[in-house]
Amino acid sequence: MENLILQLKNQIIEVLNLEDMTAEDIDAEAPLFGDGLGLDSIDALELIVLLEREYGIKLSNPAEGKQIFKSIASIADYVSKNRKK
Amino acid sequence: MADKVFVTGAGIISALGIGQEATLQALLNGESGIGKITHIQTEHEEFPVGEVALSNAEMSRMLNVGYPIDGLRTVLMGIIAAKEAIKSAGLTEKELRKAAFISGTTVGGMDKTERHFKTVFNSNVETDDSLELKYNDCGYSTELIADNIGKFNLVTTTSTACSSAANAIILGANLIKAGVIDIAVVGGSEALTKFHLNGFNTLMILDKENCRPFDKERMGINLGEGAAYIVLESETSAKARGASILGELRGYANTCDAFHQTATSENGEGAYLAMRKAMDMAHLSPQDIDYINAHGTGTPNNDETELAAMQRIWDYELPKFSSTKAFTGHTTSASGSIEAVICLLALQHGFLPKNLGWHNPMKEDAIPVIEDVDSSNVKNIINNSFGFGGNDSTLIFSEFIKENG
Amino acid sequence: MTTLAHIRITPSETLLNGKVISNSNISGIYREFIGDYPKFFKMDSLCKLGFIAAELILKGQTPEQKENASIILFNRNGSLITDRNYQKTIADDNYFPSPALFVYTLANIVTGEIAIRHKIYGESSFYVLSHQDDEMMLDVVKNAYLTSPPSFILTGWVDYEDEGNYLADIKLVTK
Repeated sequence: MENLILQLKNQIIEVLNLEDMTAEDIDAEAPLFGDGLGLDSIDALELIVLLEREYGIKLSNPAEGKQIFKSIASIADYVSKNRKK
Repeated sequence: MADKVFVTGAGIISALGIGQEATLQALLNGESGIGKITHIQTEHEEFPVGEVALSNAEMSRMLNVGYPIDGLRTVLMGIIAAKEAIKSAGLTEKELRKAAFISGTTVGGMDKTERHFKTVFNSNVETDDSLELKYNDCGYSTELIADNIGKFNLVTTTSTACSSAANAIILGANLIKAGVIDIAVVGGSEALTKFHLNGFNTLMILDKENCRPFDKERMGINLGEGAAYIVLESETSAKARGASILGELRGYANTCDAFHQTATSENGEGAYLAMRKAMDMAHLSPQDIDYINAHGTGTPNNDETELAAMQRIWDYELPKFSSTKAFTGHTTSASGSIEAVICLLALQHGFLPKNLGWHNPMKEDAIPVIEDVDSSNVKNIINNSFGFGGNDSTLIFSEFIKENG
Repeated sequence: MTTLAHIRITPSETLLNGKVISNSNISGIYREFIGDYPKFFKMDSLCKLGFIAAELILKGQTPEQKENASIILFNRNGSLITDRNYQKTIADDNYFPSPALFVYTLANIVTGEIAIRHKIYGESSFYVLSHQDDEMMLDVVKNAYLTSPPSFILTGWVDYEDEGNYLADIKLVTK
């Protein structure tokens, strides 16, 4: 799980253009949206694309994303249970 | 005192058919033009779209044009619509020489680029056709349309997403009021492309069923394509020419929602300001508005915020309103002018277009036009077009009242 | 028309009201003069360029003045560089279209980004011209005063071709 969390942090930094951030700067339990990293709805959609491209997971309803994308930890949990790649 | 701006001609092509007459019949009969994708090779066959029925080859034969225009759908549709507008206004070559042509588009020749992208950009081979791709940009698409319909004094392109055609109309009107020109052929053209399909799909705002604007269960957009142009003319010029007047462009406004790149603010600030400012210019109060042709894309976000903006102005006494995007699909950059022509048909023929696909209200009092209504007294129509980037435009078309004596 | 301020940004230098204030590239200028808007990094190059030009030229304008301002921008390339990048994500059979890229495949998103940052609710427009035609641009800008007059207009040319080839030539004007 540790490796997956580190991998996700780096992928998210790249895909969401979080310049000036490194994996160490992101707390796996911290909220990603709202106050946390201040991500918005377009970022949520990019995360959906990331899940499909890197892990073969298809999310057809953006509303599902809300729970899954709460934090890096919740994403890692979901990916480890549902990944096809 | 600036001249009034009249509309003296109109032309249109969309999923409802070619020309004003076909469009009128489809609207009166409640016949939507939305169906399965036929002209594009795509994996996304599940999305209903509002395609123009004709293929590029058929449109080229109709217009008797050859290479390279025969491969450029935006240009082909643009020429068809603009020619009808100019003919219906009875404009001569001489009159066009002093006129402006302003067209809105986002994709231009993107359809052709898509067909050649893999081969051309993955190799470094320059073929005759790949050189032609250099001219697929938005500006050149407009020039190609203009070249095929007349010699104009001024030609330019607006590119503000889904408010492009509305903004082309606004620029034309401003040029007339400023006394720069007397006549402007204005509107937009947009071909459906994989660019649109994939892009809107990735934002997850497309509906797999026929769209349901302002319905409680609405799920998103059906994309469309088409072109439409109207002829704007100063009062002085129209009267001197003895032109037949379809209506008056009485007011307009463009504002910015300043909230998000693609989503709209909860209280519809940009939409509210656009409608208010347009009414101010038109010297009309909210009670004077008889019908609103809403932007009404059918997404949860747009319809909610557009309705919120309307209720901020009209409270519980909303005028009759509908979205015609369940007829034509969301024709993106051309929607402002396609829907302007629909509004002008409504004014001329005394009917209000229905909001197809609607079953249940979002809020108790928000019921759009769903059956034939008495429209003999429709005098002032608001036409909304809201684009990404928070670019919000409102046009107000009013009936032309012939002066006596 | 009175010019209240003028900024000109090219890869080699940034001139504010005639004075060279930087020789940095776009990101360099952001870090040196701005630095408090992480969303900057999500923007495409055209938006980044327009954003920093607007930021530097709007310094000193009050929220009340900005609220009622207009933004009218022009270029030749539209959003071409992002169009190309986006096209790459849908070119092959195994494609993953990027929503973030798609959002920027519209030239007028740059006017939107400026409006969002500075809370500008007035008229905004984007025109695609074959070249930087100062006369036509001035005509369009003058026309903006025919409708509800803005407090001032942020207007000019903003075009981006690649790292070594871009120009922001923007003025704040008023009647």
